[in-house]
Amino acid sequence: MSKPFQIALGILAAIGGFVDIGDIVFATTAGATFGYELLWATVLGVVGIIVYSEMCGRVATVAKRPVFDVVRERMGFGFGLATLVSSQLVNLMTLAAEVGGVALVLQLLLGLPYRGLVAVALVTLLLSAWFLPFEWIERVYGFGGLLLIVFTVAALKLGPDWQQLGAGFVPGLPSHGTELLWGYFIVGLVSAALMPYEVYFYSSGAVEEGWKPPDDLGLNRLNAGLGFGLGAFLSISLSVVAAQLFLPRGIDPEFLGTVGLGVLNPLGQIGLLLGLLGIFFAVTGAAIDTCFSGAYNLSQFFGWEWGKYQGPRGAPRFTLTWIVFLGLGFLIILTGVNPIVVTEYAVVFSVVAMPLTYLPILLVARDEGYMGEYANGRLGNVLGFLYLGVIAIVALSAVPLLVLTNMGQG
Amino acid sequence: MTERKAIDLGLGVLDQELVDADGGRCGRVDDLELIGGPGEPLRLTALVVGPATWAARAGRVGRLAGKLYPDGETVVPWSEVADITHVVELKKTDAELGLGEGDERARRWLSRLPGG
Repeated sequence: MSKPFQIALGILAAIGGFVDIGDIVFATTAGATFGYELLWATVLGVVGIIVYSEMCGRVATVAKRPVFDVVRERMGFGFGLATLVSSQLVNLMTLAAEVGGVALVLQLLLGLPYRGLVAVALVTLLLSAWFLPFEWIERVYGFGGLLLIVFTVAALKLGPDWQQLGAGFVPGLPSHGTELLWGYFIVGLVSAALMPYEVYFYSSGAVEEGWKPPDDLGLNRLNAGLGFGLGAFLSISLSVVAAQLFLPRGIDPEFLGTVGLGVLNPLGQIGLLLGLLGIFFAVTGAAIDTCFSGAYNLSQFFGWEWGKYQGPRGAPRFTLTWIVFLGLGFLIILTGVNPIVVTEYAVVFSVVAMPLTYLPILLVARDEGYMGEYANGRLGNVLGFLYLGVIAIVALSAVPLLVLTNMGQG
Repeated sequence: MTERKAIDLGLGVLDQELVDADGGRCGRVDDLELIGGPGEPLRLTALVVGPATWAARAGRVGRLAGKLYPDGETVVPWSEVADITHVVELKKTDAELGLGEGDERARRWLSRLPGG
């Protein structure tokens, strides 16, 4: 396989996971509300997901164990089941939000009625997931999502104040707005970066691709670092555009269309088209990520045969699970709930599944009896425990902040 | 097994994946069947797989999950275990051991779809 394709897994996991509908909304709203002042929160989040996705990829490469394999083994049946139930609920909410998100982008692109486009979104997802081989799903949606780079171009063309922008990478209290709201956005940005389905998908993908030590461990580091780094870069670009365009005008980008307008102003129609296509690929990729994650988790927990590479006959319960999952996500959106609201809930509630997911990974990745020479080094352990602390703080404050700020409405 | 090696039942067998003679995953070890009273030698006689064991392992939630997925339990005699590696390897196929029903049922559903 040629080099650019080898990092497709990281790019899809990151584009789909990082700049999914939840992050697009949080990053843009954060920029529109606090300007550059929260850029550091995205960096805080991305370092965490790089640390943990690298561990998950390493465990999957060395021990051939994806995340839920490890969860069941280390946490036992009871805690494992609790982890499974909470992560599946979050997966389903996220999937529903992404299905709605795909329909919203299609509406902006085609101008047809939303409800019909929800059905189009479902069919697009079903056909892609059923007919495309795993590598082509990665390539089409991962690389397609890179079109979001037009937001970086737009951010540069608008001419940001570099000094202020640089200062945004240093944590500090907000210059305006309430501290509660500020806290809510930090929690939102950090959790959007650390959404557990990214590692479910990434680690299972590493097994799907048959990564082997020691050669593929470099590939794992590259995928985790470059893939998620790129995701963060695009997410920061969205924030920077919003900070320049929406903050001075007092616009609250609660519609996906407003996000698109961010590129229309500096780049014109072509920019808008490319930006919307980028969002389309990223969000569709995220929908496939979450849908497969649901099936990976369930299959791994119960020991069923799983994997897209096995085909429907080789892994029937896995296949049936993702189809049912997609159907459920579709039904949730069909009730008429606003996908943007669902996504905010999904991001905030994902903090419940986070400690349960990341703790067993850390325990296994640092276990020399298990990982031999490939166990965590000192840096991996320090960062691992540090981020477990960050996750714990985020997890404890998420729901109170959600209630106190009325979902970021102030 | 010619070479004797220590097996950690809690970490190396319980909750581990079962892999059949064809190399297919076919469930997880949900429970262990041990025989022997107090003061007697304790012998591992079988591995138990299936939702009927969940209630004992996860209380109310386990019982609920067991009800949602009422497949009872399958007992795999310890003599059918070929090896313990990072998974539990079995000597026979999933169908021979009664572990293949779930996949068969799902396959029947999928066969109605194009390409299934």
